[in-house]
Amino acid sequence: MSGFTLRLKAPATERMTLSGITPSKLSALSAHEIARLDVGIEKGGLALGDAFDISGSAGEILTIEGATPELDFIGAGLDSGTIRVVGDAGSYAGRKMAGGKLEIHGNAAHFLASGSTGGMIHVRGNAGDNLGGMIPGDRFGMLGGITVVEGNIGSRAGDKMRRGTIVVRGKTGSHTGSRMIGGTIWAEGGIGPEPGLMMRRGTLIGPSVEKLLPTFVDTGKHDLVITRVISRYLKAALGDLAPKPMPLFVQKIGGDLATIGRGEILLPAA
Amino acid sequence: MSKTVNGVVIDDTFAEAFGMSGTGIIITADTLKWARIAATVATGFGTSVIGCGAECGIDKELSPDETPDGRPGVRILIFGFSPDALVPQIRNRIGQCVLTSPGSACYAGFKADKTIGLGKGPRLFGDGYQTAKKLGGTRYWRVPVMDGEFVIEEETGLTTDAVGGGNMLILGTDRAGLLETAEAAVDAIAKVDDVITPFPGGIVRSGSKVGAKYAGMFASTNDAFCPTLRGTVKKSELAPDTLAVLEIVIDGLTSKAVADAMRAGLKAVTDTGAKRGVTRITAGNYGGKLGQHHYHLKDLI
Repeated sequence: MSGFTLRLKAPATERMTLSGITPSKLSALSAHEIARLDVGIEKGGLALGDAFDISGSAGEILTIEGATPELDFIGAGLDSGTIRVVGDAGSYAGRKMAGGKLEIHGNAAHFLASGSTGGMIHVRGNAGDNLGGMIPGDRFGMLGGITVVEGNIGSRAGDKMRRGTIVVRGKTGSHTGSRMIGGTIWAEGGIGPEPGLMMRRGTLIGPSVEKLLPTFVDTGKHDLVITRVISRYLKAALGDLAPKPMPLFVQKIGGDLATIGRGEILLPAA
Repeated sequence: MSKTVNGVVIDDTFAEAFGMSGTGIIITADTLKWARIAATVATGFGTSVIGCGAECGIDKELSPDETPDGRPGVRILIFGFSPDALVPQIRNRIGQCVLTSPGSACYAGFKADKTIGLGKGPRLFGDGYQTAKKLGGTRYWRVPVMDGEFVIEEETGLTTDAVGGGNMLILGTDRAGLLETAEAAVDAIAKVDDVITPFPGGIVRSGSKVGAKYAGMFASTNDAFCPTLRGTVKKSELAPDTLAVLEIVIDGLTSKAVADAMRAGLKAVTDTGAKRGVTRITAGNYGGKLGQHHYHLKDLI
């Protein structure tokens, strides 16, 4: 398995930003140049080679070992290849990611996959707030790709999300899909309270929802073709990670009627 | 030199076919019955580009695991002179015949780099209530209709290397036996993927020649092959005992598919034709100057 491995030398004393540290970028640089890349956020800067032991050679896979939540922006701007994170990732992992694969063998903090346009993110543990959300200055949250979180996630997942798919094996926090414009969030463990606040379009799927907003209405029981299409797509894209297909009939809750109300929450029909 | 196979004479000639634009579309429904109904109606009045605007037909039926939504489906093919000519054909056929059919959904049935709109027109029926769902690289439209939602993929693949007008003419001394043989040939061709036989039941009885004595007629009856004119026209192609001639026209997404279909059709005719009164097989061409594709019968047996 060729590719570089970064191993954190000592517990981080400051936050680090690994934006743009991708397999393709490292492959284009010499060992000397790689070691000098700045990953600090403070005035003095912090060289990659000072914070990490760098081993391996150019390749499609970049491994980050001993990762801790102080490492922000892991996989930001990733467009090809794989980044494997052993440990926990900080915030903004997979930010504006366009392709490739980001595997986090641990937890991810906030704003995972924010503004991402493609590729696949797989988190073995939990993820924080604003998964697939937007940060100030962005027009939209997630714009494409698939993110799978095997644990639970925090609040406001999919804030201003426009496209793409988020699959959560566990539960979502409050206000899932707030201000959502499109895309799909499938929470196998259940949807947290007050989902879809100000959502325009988009789909939230789950076995249950904790508490509905008063601006969502029950449109009844339906056998929707699109849920079959989504299930088959996810099965093809994710294999065993794909959520179990929904039953034939789903309860469609439409909203948020405080906006145009074209969004939907799909629950198994009772 | 003509050749005789199992008592059927095969002329040393070729079928002359033309380059066309073509596309494939998958239609699904709750049951195969309803997928067939939608597909049959959508491909109706699609025998010849000259009068119908497009040549259409059913390529094959698909099992639930072969369709994007896991329901039974049918794959149809539509061929036209050019991509531009296909646009209104797809819009109208899908909009009037598939959108309207109970429980239907519609997907790309051909993957290619070039694409043509599939749901781009029909989605507007949603009057603003339609929503899109993009999964990976594919965008689906969900149009609210009275029995739920009509799901339609935004685009389907397009090829400009399709072939229209692969053909064979089957001559016989017994009209009923000739029709049975032609039906067997159409059934054999139906097993080949990526081809359709656009005429009624796959068979044409009114083979045509280019041009006519009347202004405005682009094609007219192929008098050389009309048995009732034998002896009265300048040049009749028919032997004294020939009672009828039937033609099978084949359109395909690739030239190879058309050749394979012709091979399958010829085999079906030579296998069982002689005892049903089939005497000869020939093919339609225009001297080889009009069409880009020539299928020599002797190469296909």
